[in-house]
Amino acid sequence: MSGLESEVAAVALPREELLASLYEMAKPQPRYRELLADHGLVQTEAVAFSFDRENTQFVLRNHDLFSSRVEMHLGNVRPLIPLNVDPPGHSKYRKLLDPMFAPRRMEAQEGDLTKRANKLIDAFIDRGECNFTEDFAELFPSMVFLGLLGLPEDELPMFLRMRNGILHPEKIDPNAYGDFDVIAQVRKAMGQEIYEYFGDLVDRRRLEPGDDIITRFLDADVDGDKLSKEDILDIMFLFVIAGLDTVSDSLTCFFAYLATHPNHRRQIAQDPAIIPSAVEELLRWETPVPSGVPRVATRDVTLPKGQKIAAGCPVSVSYGAADVEQEAFGDPFEVRFDREDNPHIAFGAGVHRCLGSHLARRELRITLREWHRRIPDYGLKPGHEELEYPPGLRHVKDLMLSW
Amino acid sequence: MKLVVNTEVCSGHGRCYSLVPEIFEPDDNGYCDPNIADVPPELEARAMIGVNNCPEDAISVAKDGD
Ligand code: HEM
Ligand code: SF4
Repeated sequence: MSGLESEVAAVALPREELLASLYEMAKPQPRYRELLADHGLVQTEAVAFSFDRENTQFVLRNHDLFSSRVEMHLGNVRPLIPLNVDPPGHSKYRKLLDPMFAPRRMEAQEGDLTKRANKLIDAFIDRGECNFTEDFAELFPSMVFLGLLGLPEDELPMFLRMRNGILHPEKIDPNAYGDFDVIAQVRKAMGQEIYEYFGDLVDRRRLEPGDDIITRFLDADVDGDKLSKEDILDIMFLFVIAGLDTVSDSLTCFFAYLATHPNHRRQIAQDPAIIPSAVEELLRWETPVPSGVPRVATRDVTLPKGQKIAAGCPVSVSYGAADVEQEAFGDPFEVRFDREDNPHIAFGAGVHRCLGSHLARRELRITLREWHRRIPDYGLKPGHEELEYPPGLRHVKDLMLSW
Repeated sequence: MKLVVNTEVCSGHGRCYSLVPEIFEPDDNGYCDPNIADVPPELEARAMIGVNNCPEDAISVAKDGD
């Protein structure tokens, strides 16, 4: 195969520049195209980055060769469940958790989510403008979680605090900006708070069960397997990290796209029936979680495209690149809400496929539906046309919209 | 036409049964139920939408004799 050589060929850009470009979030798609075309794999001393869809699928599917048991440095003191657990233990947890997040179960949330979305819109609709990031995107997923946990709305500030402490430590302590020691301190302290907060909640639900996910965790039983209190804390810790920002970030990416592409926006406003496919297409195009938890090779492995990975080497797979691959999508650089075949992996792939994907989809659809029903015509607020995509998950800071 | 779901690789994305509910159905965990009735000719195009949207390539068309 003639392509093989170019895929393993030396990287054209200086390494620092190339690595920096991986974290350039404003317009990653053209960069993915380059990385896909030139080298399916970029290796540094510490990590291998996979951009090739076939290699990526191979890494994700072969969890015996590529382990998710990695240290996350997010203030957690034990592995996050089920993210950092490999099969067979992983399958046990997913069997307990999957039914609680299955599409049928999430359907029951439709009314609650719709109400919460509208309540947020009520607060600013008459102003004719909002900071979409702060006034909607950051609040909505946390409100949804309050509903799932059966907690009152005045717990919202605590949720935002937990989320910020782990994922935006600079919002808790300004000194954390760019200082890894301070970041680690903030996360450690917040980690303790998270364990204590949910520890109390578990104790309360044990005494007084309710119609909420902690009670369901306590009741869940598959072939005699039950979740321990520690298990529940390790799951809740992950939910704070995986279930709040991801949705906020996706919402800011989606609305930034729609605010700057009036044709696409009008399609949604005029024909809400296309929203489900618009959500999938925007998930594909934006892939807000651009890459996976690094998987560590458990032995020397040769990837389908021929590159060798040494035992112990972490491999970071790019979901973003896999979602603009020519072969899978035909015209990947077009954003088409009528795309018929869209096998994107914005929610990952393999056994760790996002547990919350059916909830996330519902949150995204409901937001698009309710927003465009009430505010069909909007754009970037004049004077705020410059969009900032900070490093981390792909998201837009202070997305200012007006109508 | 007969469809086969590879339950080893189906990871419950739910693209198939969301897009083509008349052919694919979820089980209680949100994974594709592998017991799919034979697809009549008039529904074959719809079935292929399910096949082509699966991110795991978990659904395939059985060849004659399978
Ligand atoms: C649009 C929003 C979301 C996106 C783009 C997203 C993306 C992802 C991705 C890519 C993974 C795979 C990680 C990997 O293995 O590398 C993942 C895993 C996970 N996500 Fe999400 N996620 C979203 C929303 C949510 C929500 C709302 C929840 C709430 C419960 C959630 C819970 C989880 C959990 C628990 C895992 C770990 C699953 C496992 O390891 O078996 N996610 N997510
Ligand atoms: S789309 Fe594929 S992976 Fe998803 S449920 Fe259907 S068969 Fe399974």
